[in-house]
Amino acid sequence: MHAAFGARGFVQLSLAAILTICGAAAGGAAEFDQGARLAAICASCHDPDGKNHGVPPIAGLDAKEITEAMARYRASEEPSIVMHAIALSLTEEEVASVARYLANKGKEAAP
Amino acid sequence: MTRLTRRQFGAGAGAALAAVAAPRLARAQAKPPVVVIGGGVGGATAARYLAQEGLGVTLVEAKERYITCFFSDLYLAGLRSLDSLTHGYDRLAQGYGIKIVHAEATGIDPAGKTVELGTGATLPYERLVLAPGIAFKFGAIDGYDEAATHIMPHAWVAGPQTELLRKQLAAMEDGGTFVIAIPPDPFRCPPGPYERASLAAYYFKQFKPKSKIIVLDSKDAFKAQELFEEAWARRYPGMIEWLPAQFTGGVEAVDLKGGVVIAANARFPAAVANIIPAQMAGHPAEAAGLTDKSGWCPVDPETFASKLQPDIHVIGDAVIGGEMPKSAFSANTQAKTCAFAIAAALNGTPPAAPHLFNSCYTFLGPDDAFTNAINFKPVDGTLKTTDFFLSKVDATTEQRRRMAVEAGGWYRSFMRDVFG
Repeated sequence: MHAAFGARGFVQLSLAAILTICGAAAGGAAEFDQGARLAAICASCHDPDGKNHGVPPIAGLDAKEITEAMARYRASEEPSIVMHAIALSLTEEEVASVARYLANKGKEAAP
Repeated sequence: MTRLTRRQFGAGAGAALAAVAAPRLARAQAKPPVVVIGGGVGGATAARYLAQEGLGVTLVEAKERYITCFFSDLYLAGLRSLDSLTHGYDRLAQGYGIKIVHAEATGIDPAGKTVELGTGATLPYERLVLAPGIAFKFGAIDGYDEAATHIMPHAWVAGPQTELLRKQLAAMEDGGTFVIAIPPDPFRCPPGPYERASLAAYYFKQFKPKSKIIVLDSKDAFKAQELFEEAWARRYPGMIEWLPAQFTGGVEAVDLKGGVVIAANARFPAAVANIIPAQMAGHPAEAAGLTDKSGWCPVDPETFASKLQPDIHVIGDAVIGGEMPKSAFSANTQAKTCAFAIAAALNGTPPAAPHLFNSCYTFLGPDDAFTNAINFKPVDGTLKTTDFFLSKVDATTEQRRRMAVEAGGWYRSFMRDVFG
């Protein structure tokens, strides 16, 4: 899916980013974060409280750990075809966005 | 992101500008009401994510508890309690502010944008999400009607039917024959019947080792066939006989009194018979004019808006969704895509790219599972597979064991995602 992410997609992403920035500057759509929506993908399998019941937890990981893990999953079917497929379905920008969101959420949750 | 059309992008931009101009005004207005009909996986997920997007959500579901059909084969094999598969709506109500209405949705008025309830009440909506699941096409098999399900259960909607089938299997004498009839495509949970045969064999092998399982298929081949057949030969040799339609001519009738499943070319006496009937979209999809000739609901794969009724979205098993299978995971990712699309339309938030995915964890034994992992993308108004992966047939014992553990963990997290 990421392979289809051509120049057109990039332009649209950039425009979307500009819009977000404009919104933020004007105080309108400031709170909006696609990272939260993208994190809904993770929530189908990963425990919301960061417990390991059989699926490795992701709560509490920092953004770099998440992006590096996703790059490894994208590169290979091992060790998880589920994560391989998920990694292929996300653009690099989407991975960065969801990693940032999850890491921030983890910091908020930390005592 | 590549799937944002010019129209959607324009709509998003306009809405964002409007929000910039009058953010406080927009926030002061009442939340646009969204009604969700159906409290299964699709409906509950949609309600949760619509509420998370700041919309006012009412979830209409007649039953107070939902029992998952997925993982119910583990219950049949004595590996899980039905209680562990049962979920309520309290957390959606308390944690997400969703109004739960336990009533039957008896009618929909698309012009007046209202839902009629069995209680006589009417619910107005700005957008309606229908997640009605499946209904059965009784009559496709001669003699198999609603009453027949009490003798030969389908056990394809989890609950009393699943309990009945479990009781029948438990009461069956060693050496009996268990017949499973599989309907034509498309039906809910494509690997389900073959998983059921596998786990029934697991149960028989322990307690009734002389018993046999006959699987009467409507097809001549099925998905992940190699994985199932390898496991059947390895774990349950000689116990499961799978008969394709080309051998039997397909199941045409049942003899309830005699306990016989009748195919075009042969009769199959059964100590226990599990007839899984042909399926269509659940009530009230057809009455609301949401189904096409197939009996299922055609939708726009970007938003899950009905192609037949604007302002009504359909998700889950009821959808005729191109290559996307009818599964809980499909329903869950469709619900999220649908919720974000509705939020973009009603709240003016930027549209989100659809992320449509399916994974079906399938058990061959208690410590032996496999999965698939599939990405889908809207293409020309339908859903196409973009990536497909399946566990390897030569997976090691340890990999199979780990997949079974992962499946259990997935179920737990998935239920938190769906029911809060």
